[in-house]
Amino acid sequence: MPEPKSDLPQGTLDLLILKVVALGPLHGYAIAQRMQAMSRNVVQVQQGSLYPALHRLENRGLLAAEWKLSDTGREAKFYKLTAKGRGHLGAEEASWKRLTDAIGAILAGEADAGAP
Amino acid sequence: MTWLGRLLKRRRLERELDAELSDHLERQVADYVAAGMSEADARRRARLEFGGVERAKEDCRDARGTRLVDDLVQDVRYGWRVLRKSPTFTLVAITSLALGIGANSAIFTLVDALLLRSLPVREPARLVRLEDGSWTNPIWEEIRARQHQLFESAAACSDTRFDLASGGEADFAIGFWASGGFFDVVGVPAVLGRTLVPADDRRDGGPEGPVAVISYAFWQRRFGGSADVVGRSLALNGVPFTIVGVTPPGFFGPTVGRSFDVAAPIGMVDRVQTRDGQSWLDGRSTWWLEVLARLRPGQSVDEATRALRGVQPQIRQATLPSNWRPDELERYLLEGRFSLAPAATGFSDIRGRYERPLWTVMAVVVLVLLIACANLASLLLARANARQQELSSRLALGASRRRLMRQLLTESLLLALPGALIGLVLAQWGSRLLLGQIATREGIVSLDVSLHWRVLLFTAGMTLATTLLFGMAPALRAYRLSPHAAIQPQGRGMVGAGPKALGRPLVVAQVALSLVLVFGAGLFLRTFSRLAGRDLGLRQDPVLLVGLDAQRSAARPDERAALFSRVRDAAVALPGVAHAAVSVMAPVSGMGWNERFIVEGGTRLSGREQLSWVNAVTPGFFRTYGTPILAGRDFDARDRAGAPFVGLVNEAFARRFSGPGSPIGRVVLREGRPGSQHPPLEIVGLVKDSVYRSPRETMEPTIYLPIAQLEPSEAWPFATLAVSAAGGSPALLTRSVAAALQGADPQLSLTFQLFADQVRASVMQERIVALLSAFFGALAVLLAGIGLYGVTAYAVSRRRAEIGVRMALGADANGVVRLVLRGVAVLLGAGITIGAGISLWAARFVSSLLYGLEPRDPLTLAAAALALVAVGLLAAGLPARSAARIDPAEVLREG
Repeated sequence: MPEPKSDLPQGTLDLLILKVVALGPLHGYAIAQRMQAMSRNVVQVQQGSLYPALHRLENRGLLAAEWKLSDTGREAKFYKLTAKGRGHLGAEEASWKRLTDAIGAILAGEADAGAP
Repeated sequence: MTWLGRLLKRRRLERELDAELSDHLERQVADYVAAGMSEADARRRARLEFGGVERAKEDCRDARGTRLVDDLVQDVRYGWRVLRKSPTFTLVAITSLALGIGANSAIFTLVDALLLRSLPVREPARLVRLEDGSWTNPIWEEIRARQHQLFESAAACSDTRFDLASGGEADFAIGFWASGGFFDVVGVPAVLGRTLVPADDRRDGGPEGPVAVISYAFWQRRFGGSADVVGRSLALNGVPFTIVGVTPPGFFGPTVGRSFDVAAPIGMVDRVQTRDGQSWLDGRSTWWLEVLARLRPGQSVDEATRALRGVQPQIRQATLPSNWRPDELERYLLEGRFSLAPAATGFSDIRGRYERPLWTVMAVVVLVLLIACANLASLLLARANARQQELSSRLALGASRRRLMRQLLTESLLLALPGALIGLVLAQWGSRLLLGQIATREGIVSLDVSLHWRVLLFTAGMTLATTLLFGMAPALRAYRLSPHAAIQPQGRGMVGAGPKALGRPLVVAQVALSLVLVFGAGLFLRTFSRLAGRDLGLRQDPVLLVGLDAQRSAARPDERAALFSRVRDAAVALPGVAHAAVSVMAPVSGMGWNERFIVEGGTRLSGREQLSWVNAVTPGFFRTYGTPILAGRDFDARDRAGAPFVGLVNEAFARRFSGPGSPIGRVVLREGRPGSQHPPLEIVGLVKDSVYRSPRETMEPTIYLPIAQLEPSEAWPFATLAVSAAGGSPALLTRSVAAALQGADPQLSLTFQLFADQVRASVMQERIVALLSAFFGALAVLLAGIGLYGVTAYAVSRRRAEIGVRMALGADANGVVRLVLRGVAVLLGAGITIGAGISLWAARFVSSLLYGLEPRDPLTLAAAALALVAVGLLAAGLPARSAARIDPAEVLREG
């Protein structure tokens, strides 16, 4: 029985991409596979929306791209994190953590309050 | 990659995008195949999971941030293709816009140069002028003594001309007399050397003797821009001056439309210009100076006027003319309160003369541009209707309405920009041409009509307004379009008023505005033809005018009559000369001399009614100009100084002053100028009426006196010799007359002009207005014709099926033509009615420009309406005839 999948919250796609690419240069397909694996198939990423996000991050200077020969024998576009992107990732991670902690605390409190 | 890089390397980015996405899909397919799927299934699954590839591509393009520009490039390319497909339409559109914008810019260039532009001086807003014309030097000296107490500073100047030649044919330089502080007050520095300073402005010259400043243009023209011009000598009317400096190229002097070559200090005037022993500097009734002042920062014009009026009594008292009668002195003291007016744009008599004509022509060309816009709007609208299929297809395929509007606006701009550019070129050419025309009238007009920011702004504004005006109509329709329209079959059969709803009012507006222009053109053309064809009472063709300037002649004032008599005799003796005469005033020169007269025992007149024009002439004047002497005799050798005083009068003089009966033998009292006494004179002849100053004037009372009987104080050194040729062109006499006059007095300086040219020049303003309004009226009619043709042709094409059915049911060709023309007649009728209303309302504004006809002249209005009906029916006739040739069988088969 397939697990139910959630849509990605607004704005988190960029964060996930940066996190994945932080591990080393990857092409688009590999990024998509990696994101799917990392999120253990819980999160549904429409593959078509991955590329506009990648291009946006590249144009903002958070990612750098390079065409390199890949395992298939064709050239592929490899993305890697820039120094600016690394800084951005750190800041976003911290802010994300604060947000989830806060929401977690609220949800936990609500559960307490709702107990008989 | 930077934004600009992304914009410029668009093609490479597209290639990479394709490669990247297909790489993704290939890998996915390979993975699924490796997992045991069939190739076809793998491909299907991969695509499904990826989602819309084209959509993803569009999103990636959005991510580049260059969308706006990309779209614009696309719009421009597309628009260009669309316009190229209909070259006639494009040509008509661009040409009419170019003419509209060109005409507007050309006229506006003149309006700007003559009426709006500030003098190129320091803080022009603080310059004021002592109103109403000219002042005496004693008054100026009183103001100069108080200048710093009243204002920041003050200056005086006066236009003049200097003869640089040493006799014979004059070599005139345009000059002005300037007070020592003039250049400092207006704030014009020297580009070379120095300008004038107060120390230069002393009687008989300052510490460096007589000095002068020359203009940049004169420096280039006369001295080839030579660097050592400072210190060189320049003879003005024979008096040597030292050049001390050159003014900047943009400064043309204080009088708009006049340039200057040489400026000399006022203090030198008496050395350079003779006034027969009377001083320009001390003359208390010699009115010749303009007075300017620079206000203190923060000082208002009213404050300055009040300050000046505070000292007016002292100034008037100190400058009382010595020889005036008591009643004249009283008027001098009490009348004419000083008042100041802003002078930021300089001053000019040309401005006064051309202000109304220029604004009129400006209104005309604005109307032309409006008509051109309406024309384009209706053409574009018809096209937008024809393109409805294309536009709704694009809507159905997902183009946004905003995008469609932008596309249509881009197409409008593609028409407007070339139109504006060509228009600007036309404007440059046109305004120079016009200025050249005016220049012949004014002799020395010089205006800066080079490109100017105000003109650029004006043209750009016009272009933008035009684009929006005519671009918006189709764009708004595109906004309301429904994508369903693409799916519905293209309208066949009856089409409602819908698509034409906007087109009809536009055509009506065009017809109405065209009627206004044609009516105006009719008024101006008739004005001009009446003026040009008017019998002036003077023979023009055989007469050559020779301007005489005896300032440097050795002849004393009391010898001038004899000199002019010698001049006349020398001219009459020449072969080919029928008659010759000298007069103080040349007829139709725009100049005038009037005084008050009373005929003893004649009609009692009061005030201004007593004024009559005066001319002083030698014998032969009337024969030379072909004016018949109706009774009595011409002047002859008997009428010299010391003999009984005599005069001739024209019919108008006799009618007004002496009443019924012959005027011969009546005694006339001449009031003369303030302070002068004249003995009574007897009328010895009556001449036919002739025009005195200008063809616009009625035949006015004129009295002629013998030059020989003028008092020495009236014997001005200027006069005009008129020579009537016995046959052939009078221009051929120029050389022999010049030689003969050289013999009579080598110091006379001469200018030559054909009398016919002078008369033509006197109606130049009317001629220009008539030509321009005729040209633009014709243009408007042409545009309206095109508009009517377009709308009718479009209506016919939409009603092909209906017409086909009617013909199949038995309507004949004439019936079809009537059907089409009926629609046109309604539009024409509405347009002409509205246009007639506007014409009758607007006519009042041009009444001062008309001659010999009422502003609401019904004949002209009827002719204009008739012309429009003719053009309208012609324009609609072509599509109507093609409608009549529709083959019903063919139309029915189409369906």
